[in-house]
Amino acid sequence: MPLPTPLKGIRVVDFTWVRAGPWAARWLGTLGAEVVKVEWPLNLDTLRQNRFTVPPGVEPGPNSTGQFADTNANKRGISVNTRTDEGLELVKRLISVSDVVIENFSSRIMQRWGLGYEQLREIRPDIIYVSMAGFGHTGRHHWYGTMGPAAQALSGLTHLSGLPDAPPAGWGWSYLDDTGGMYGAISALTALRHRSATGKGQHVDLSQMITGITLTGPALLDKTVNGRKARREGFPPGNRTVWPGAEVMNNYRGPIAAPHNAYRTSPGGYNDWAVIACLNDGEWQTLVKTMGHPDWADDRFNTIDGRLEHQQEMDERIEAWTKTMGKYELTEKCQAVGIRAMAVQSSQDRVDNDPQLRHRDMYVPMDHPMLGPWKFQNAPFKMSKSPARIANPPPMIGQHNREILEDLLGVSHDDLLNGYENGVFWPTTMDRYPYIEEALR
Amino acid sequence: MTSANGNQQDGVDIGGARPADLSLPGALEGLRVLEICDEKGQFCGKLMADNGADLIKIEPPGGEACRSFGPFMDDIPHRERSLSFWHYNTSKRGITLDLETTHGQDILKRLAASADIVLESRKPGYLESLGLGYETLSAENPGLIMCSLTPYGQTGPWRDYVSSDITQMAGGGQMASSGYDDIDVANPPPIAPGGGNSWHIGAHYAYIGIMAALYYRFLCGEGQYIDASIHEACALTTEGAIAIYLSTGEVVQRHTGRHAAPDMSPAIQFPTGDGGWLNTTRSGTNLTPARLKLLADWFDQSGMAEDLTDERYQDPEVIASENDHIVQVMKNFFMNSTLMDSFHGGQERDFPWGAIRSMDELVGDDHLQDREFFKEVEHPELGRSFTYPGPAALFNGSPWRISRRAPLIGEHNAEILQGELGLTNGQMLLLAEGGVI
Repeated sequence: MPLPTPLKGIRVVDFTWVRAGPWAARWLGTLGAEVVKVEWPLNLDTLRQNRFTVPPGVEPGPNSTGQFADTNANKRGISVNTRTDEGLELVKRLISVSDVVIENFSSRIMQRWGLGYEQLREIRPDIIYVSMAGFGHTGRHHWYGTMGPAAQALSGLTHLSGLPDAPPAGWGWSYLDDTGGMYGAISALTALRHRSATGKGQHVDLSQMITGITLTGPALLDKTVNGRKARREGFPPGNRTVWPGAEVMNNYRGPIAAPHNAYRTSPGGYNDWAVIACLNDGEWQTLVKTMGHPDWADDRFNTIDGRLEHQQEMDERIEAWTKTMGKYELTEKCQAVGIRAMAVQSSQDRVDNDPQLRHRDMYVPMDHPMLGPWKFQNAPFKMSKSPARIANPPPMIGQHNREILEDLLGVSHDDLLNGYENGVFWPTTMDRYPYIEEALR
Repeated sequence: MTSANGNQQDGVDIGGARPADLSLPGALEGLRVLEICDEKGQFCGKLMADNGADLIKIEPPGGEACRSFGPFMDDIPHRERSLSFWHYNTSKRGITLDLETTHGQDILKRLAASADIVLESRKPGYLESLGLGYETLSAENPGLIMCSLTPYGQTGPWRDYVSSDITQMAGGGQMASSGYDDIDVANPPPIAPGGGNSWHIGAHYAYIGIMAALYYRFLCGEGQYIDASIHEACALTTEGAIAIYLSTGEVVQRHTGRHAAPDMSPAIQFPTGDGGWLNTTRSGTNLTPARLKLLADWFDQSGMAEDLTDERYQDPEVIASENDHIVQVMKNFFMNSTLMDSFHGGQERDFPWGAIRSMDELVGDDHLQDREFFKEVEHPELGRSFTYPGPAALFNGSPWRISRRAPLIGEHNAEILQGELGLTNGQMLLLAEGGVI
């Protein structure tokens, strides 16, 4: 018998779309909550349209993108037009038997639907309502819109990334969609503990942009405590802790250290890089030994001061050595003697070449109705008694209308069929997919 | 103007949620957490402590090594002046304890007997080797939840690999997605974004694992052990890179300030006249005639619209074919404007742009003030208070807030060891002289 899941019995009404919100609900589902994604085909989740992730040979469509699949695993889905009285009434009925409502619309959308916190509380007094607007629901710019890159820019995170005297490199993905999603899950689970202890629900007003500010703590305190200028020479310091020639100061990467950089490896392809970080003089001496005591690695480099002073030369010399081997060979050679080193791993490396992720079952195989045999990302932790699990592929749009509307909400079969005819459960202007026809029989 | 259930502050509508009364208990009130963590786990502890848990940080005598991470207050290096340590250890109490001594181990066991959660980030197997593994600590306390947050987890071929923030970002894929187009930097390296984010990423997942375990305990009374891996957490945190590879076999390429992707995409970051950079998400390439008109009318106010006010641009095909020209007009406008004017002007017209703000622009931001984001935290021993970043979310029933500054080294030894465990003055003296505390 499989072990129980930790969030057994928790039901989540998931109004989210794109990435941050769905990712939050995805983890509640992976932890065992029953997540019901509420959608409408004429206002399609943009991840259902992601052009980069339709596998060759798969018919494009809203149920065929790999990015939607992983982001919405372990959910069930219904299609309901909340702009109809009947649809809105059913959504309210769903909320009345649920524990959590989560959404990432702009800040006043739910209120306009009549589903603001006050109304939600009337429907379900102990409801946990997590809103995930870009700037939050509170504050004069609550109506400002953000997507990941803009939120990262505004939070200060983008400014922390890149080479000096170059444009900001920023983050090459929507870090604050991933992490904003984490905070959606964090908020729901924290509020759930409050409910367990007190019986009370609440509204958690999360701001995607502000989640990033809380991740800039040491830099922000350097400003508020020391008045440090954020725009300064040698900042950001690339992959180093201090840029060569710049004043020695801490640039928020942990302790000042050198070497601390990315180095090219053989055979010189796009992702043939590895990083090495020596956090003290002893680790440096170990690296010198591992490099075979080259002549250049003389007394000048014995101390951190010397390594920073001659950092450019040191990095070039180290790279001449790293280029003689592959990135995994380098990693193993260094790790065998306790040097902090690691291959720069691409997506392909993580899926195909990383023995640790393979050992830990990071990519869980499961069939998907459109994509065929697929891999889903597992939880990054093992719980001994109630493990997270990948149990279901994501919902095809409207896939679970019958079981949720009839079995859970008590809609009669005739009313269900009528709802399809009059545009409550499916747009009258759109053909229904075969799986929907099948479910109605 | 005021929304239906909005609030007014200085005549400005600041919206409907509002923070809870800060005197209310936090969501994790009543939970006792023991934290045995360096830089890898302390942020997870902070999240619990700021949300109301009674968290006792257990440091080796002399304090955790990460107290020596800069920057330092007034640039004077000292283990009580690390701003990094200050930030990551708010709302906690702290004791010192040498866990490699029998006395230290006994005290930890006594504390664990009444704790709800133990969070630790020592090397895999280390606490177990001291007789302080989950089996032992939970023997008398079956409801105990223990989470080990380590670089690669407790099992597997890389279990004993050593790491730092940048090596985790290499292995986790952050670096393979972040960097530059060749046109901006010649032969660009992959870039590890700064700020210690691999620790953050690991801490977020450890936190949700612990919260899930708490709910499970609420259901059935049982605690459990959680083996959390920073490597796996980072490997999960590159948005679509894995899905793209699984779907098409393509590996993403790095682009300046925007999504790594299998193909080239238009630039979205533009310099402003005051030396800043504006991130335009992707609106510059997503213009409808109506949105183009909004931009043109705005630019026209300062005579910078060039020909964009012309009727012929009210045609999607013209917009598509003239995209390069339109982007050039935008760039010219930004170069003749300021970062914050461009940002606010765009947002007022429903363009979800972001100013690339540094800390200089963040401190004092009106919107953040409306949310009471910044928190003055007292440092009584210094007779000063400092401005800290506050919560990402406003909980209207159980406030997430900083309750006190980080503990000084061994600050609560007497309060906890004598006040709670009942050690005598003589025992405290022996522990101190024996180097245990």
